Amino acid sequence: MTTIPASIDGVPVTTRTAMKMEDSLQAFAVRAACFIGELDVPYTEEFDGHDFGATHIVAYLGEEPVGTVRMRWFQAFAMPERLCVIQRFRGHDVGRLLIERCRKLAESRGCNMLYVHVLPNDMAYWEKQGWRRLDPEAPPASNGTVALVRPVAEAQAVVAEQTPEVVTIRQHAPASGASRG
Amino acid sequence: MTTQSTLAPPDLTPVVTIKIAATSDEMLQCYALRAAVFMGEQACPYDEEFDGNDYTATHVIMYVDGEPAGSMRLRWFQSFCKFERCVVLRRYRGLGIHHTLNAWCKDFARRKGYTKAYIHLQKRHMPMMEKEGFRRVDDTVFKFSDHEYYAIYCDLAPSADAITLESAPMVVNRPEDRLDEAGVLEMSAERGASNPHAPHAPRPERHAN
Repeated sequence: MTTIPASIDGVPVTTRTAMKMEDSLQAFAVRAACFIGELDVPYTEEFDGHDFGATHIVAYLGEEPVGTVRMRWFQAFAMPERLCVIQRFRGHDVGRLLIERCRKLAESRGCNMLYVHVLPNDMAYWEKQGWRRLDPEAPPASNGTVALVRPVAEAQAVVAEQTPEVVTIRQHAPASGASRG
Repeated sequence: MTTQSTLAPPDLTPVVTIKIAATSDEMLQCYALRAAVFMGEQACPYDEEFDGNDYTATHVIMYVDGEPAGSMRLRWFQSFCKFERCVVLRRYRGLGIHHTLNAWCKDFARRKGYTKAYIHLQKRHMPMMEKEGFRRVDDTVFKFSDHEYYAIYCDLAPSADAITLESAPMVVNRPEDRLDEAGVLEMSAERGASNPHAPHAPRPERHAN
């Protein structure tokens, strides 16, 4: 069983699945602070149209929302994305706590595989936690990210055979005029 | 077909548009900008930033070339309009567009009949707002959310076409930032008045299922 220290200065850090408008506003506020405020991501890329078809998990320090992650669901895998922790609360494993919550949620839904897109600079962080490249030979995607996977079952070591054979993810929307199925 | 002999220099002036946040998506844009600036840059706790007044206020959203770039929250009191939560996203600062936003909000308040704008201003911004005609209400310095504030105000020139009790009723019904354009309810007038009412019917007994 993974034990993740869940407190900062004695105040417990908890995670909750967003269930009300107010909860998702907290998730959106944390993401806006990190991605729009800190990383200069354009609004339309940050709020990309997937937010109302996804599950949001929020981490709280006491009552203060300090981190969040969004989970999207596919048959072949569950995809944590938009993982972020407000700058001044970093360094306390809140991110790992959120990912662990994702893992448990995926497990409860019978998912086998978690799949993420990460920036090459963050690879070490993820690899330390058992994530492996989906295809070690593949070059980074057009947005500079690398695909990583890890099995949902905690005991399972990561072996290549357990990765799905085909992973289809949403690419950039086709230009207007492109065929619509 | 004509051939263009000279190439016009590209127009690089950013296009600034301002409107009332009228949909949940536009509201989210305001919230996102405030979270980016106040929670991200100024370490404001979430429940102080979203203080319970967001659903009693008018939210104004400003775009630069279509991208949400700034926002203001307006609250309406009897004798003044309170400008709050004014933000411009970091990468759009230095263009002076907060003056554009302030000017828009002043005109908006004037049109609604207000003759005073009131602000709780972070002390460090005083020189900037003095240029806009704001001055301190009194000498009080007060503190909240880890900043020092002045209460400041400025007089707004009364608007000749301000909304009053005598304004045409259907003008009062228009979207408040487009008072000179016919609103959706005026178009509904074409249907006439059939005064529809569902007849009263006893309700069948219902059980939760």
